[in-house]
Amino acid sequence: MTAEHSPRTIFVTGATGFLGRHVVNQAALRGHKVIALVRPSSSARVLAPAEASGNLTLVRGDLSSRKGLAEGMAGADGLIHLAAVKGGDYFSRFAGTVIGTENILECAREAGVANLVAISTFSVYDYGERKAKSSFDESFPVIQDPAGRDEYAETKLYQDELYQRFGSEDGQTMVMLRPGMIYGQDELWHPLLGGEFGPINLRVGFRAKPPITYVENTAEAVVLAAEVLLDPASTSLVDGEVINIVDDDLPTQADYADKVKALIETPSSIPIPLPVMQAAARVGAAINRGLFDGRAKLPSIALPNQVDARFKPFVYSNEKAKRLLSWTPRFGLEQALQRSVNPPALVGGS
Amino acid sequence: MARPLRTAVVGAGAISLEHLPFLSTSPRCELASIVDLSPVSAEIAARKFGAKSHYVDVDEMLDKERPDVVHVLTPPQTHGFLVSKALNAGAHVICEKPLSPTAEEAEKLLAEAAAAGRHLIENHNYRFNDEVLALRSVIDEGRIGPVREVDIRMALPVRDPGGRFADTNVPNSIHQMPAGVLHDFITHLSYLMIDLAGVSHFERVMAAMSNHGAGDLFSFDDLDAILISKADVPGPETDETPVHGRIRFSCRTSPDLFSLTVRGADGQASTDIFHPFLDVVVDRSGGQQLTPIVNHLVNGVGLARSGARNFGRKLLQHTPYHGLTRFLDQTYAALGADREPPVTAADVLAAARLVDAIVASSALQDSGRSAHTHQESGR
Repeated sequence: MTAEHSPRTIFVTGATGFLGRHVVNQAALRGHKVIALVRPSSSARVLAPAEASGNLTLVRGDLSSRKGLAEGMAGADGLIHLAAVKGGDYFSRFAGTVIGTENILECAREAGVANLVAISTFSVYDYGERKAKSSFDESFPVIQDPAGRDEYAETKLYQDELYQRFGSEDGQTMVMLRPGMIYGQDELWHPLLGGEFGPINLRVGFRAKPPITYVENTAEAVVLAAEVLLDPASTSLVDGEVINIVDDDLPTQADYADKVKALIETPSSIPIPLPVMQAAARVGAAINRGLFDGRAKLPSIALPNQVDARFKPFVYSNEKAKRLLSWTPRFGLEQALQRSVNPPALVGGS
Repeated sequence: MARPLRTAVVGAGAISLEHLPFLSTSPRCELASIVDLSPVSAEIAARKFGAKSHYVDVDEMLDKERPDVVHVLTPPQTHGFLVSKALNAGAHVICEKPLSPTAEEAEKLLAEAAAAGRHLIENHNYRFNDEVLALRSVIDEGRIGPVREVDIRMALPVRDPGGRFADTNVPNSIHQMPAGVLHDFITHLSYLMIDLAGVSHFERVMAAMSNHGAGDLFSFDDLDAILISKADVPGPETDETPVHGRIRFSCRTSPDLFSLTVRGADGQASTDIFHPFLDVVVDRSGGQQLTPIVNHLVNGVGLARSGARNFGRKLLQHTPYHGLTRFLDQTYAALGADREPPVTAADVLAAARLVDAIVASSALQDSGRSAHTHQESGR
């Protein structure tokens, strides 16, 4: 429990997810009452620490239906919306991410829950816009044409629009966090290192320092954002703001990969320098335009804007998160990797 | 060309993504509006596909936009009242399959359309796929002689965890239909059977719908049906020879397939909508000795060509749903010129009646089986 902010009641969606479980457990251990939305068929075992703190209430529901959501949210001071769909075809993503967000925000309005901590993503930034190695903070341009990149970015952009609308309505507040690539237990080998190209795995680039953040660090930033937003004394500090979340001392792709390889089995992959991949993607795109009128569907790793989004090097800043949220990434890379492979037991107390 | 028809789409769900690319680009229509109960779904679909308006209330849309054609793309249980509203507003209706849970309701809706002087057209998209049309040509050219048997098989992993039908949190509404999840594709299987067999009615239907995977979520996950067009065989081979049909659905074989085989008096032809090719086995010049060899060579070359063509299709996203574009194009051409559309009221009704007959036969088998079990246990 921090001295500055008094305990609040916070409704959390995506509560048993990769990030959500840490958000719920940390918030509960910091003394907040947490109402966690969990799907009817999901186990809430990962929320054992929150449960043991006595601060957890479970609400069973699913964002694809508004049934029971407004009732479950009643009395909450704020909403942390983490649920999103990361896989499947366009419509599965649209339904899970955009319609799910529409449903939860509509129920928040109905229940009088006026304060929103919204989770966006680095994927909405337009990486083609600026030169490699330029500095990258919240002023970085966002994609203008949502349909122009991939389905994940497209649906997250629509979701951002819904967040912005919610925050701009009378009497409502919103802070939007944009975490970089979140890593942690079972999620160590990430798409910013490389990806599948048909049957083979490619490693693209070595010296870029991708925007990564360890899941427990990210979760702490989310909880801090809720505390700052829900404290009337500091609401105006973050209301309407977009805040990027990346860790300190970002490792290069090669450094990170070497450290992960020492800990877990990783997919064998073919290394490709970034300029080679960029050139290949441009040639592919030109052939697609010239021969197929741009209609051919190429693997995502072979699309120029995807290559930029995943591998182009920039210098990422977390200055705003530190300044507005008083956040310091608690776990450095070594410690984060250790906790990822040997996670602390799921029992009460920290 | 006739003036573009003003079109509205009701339901901006997954299937709308198959209809909207045609509606937003065809010169035969003008996309006037998109309606969905989810405001953001209607708004974003309208933005993506250039619809001039979007609504959450279908009555308001019909009243303000006065569309010439309405696409009803909502879950099947809601088709009836939405189709009625659109017909009442003076629009032709293109409805996703199944038009209705029962043939009785389909008949009622088709009667409403006839009374209103409008067309009510169910989406029979697979009839317009390249490979189905190729099969149709083989039959129409008489290459395999009069059709005697049609075999239609579909395999889809409908029970896969994570799939849209297996979700126990918010069960898919299709499970409440008379054939459960089978109702999501049984219309396709039925209209293809009717089209390829060339008969509109099967007098004998012996069907078993089963729930091999058990549990409460699925009512059925498997279908096996035998169809015979005539009740009695009237003697020597004439045009009256009955046609046999077999419809099979399984979620326990892989990979996904949608295979069609037509056997005629003089040969047989096969294709698969998910793995397109055309295989024709007929008497070839060269006599009895060389016929198998010639068939193998000709079909082998065809198969190799299909491989190359399917790679191109994959690259250009020419999906198994490509027949929808041809279906819509021909339908709009007919509506614009005041001609009979390619899927007629009789086609829609025949398919709905076959589905009904399959469901009824299966229910009969079940009651017979439970009576039998009862007798056994009573002994």
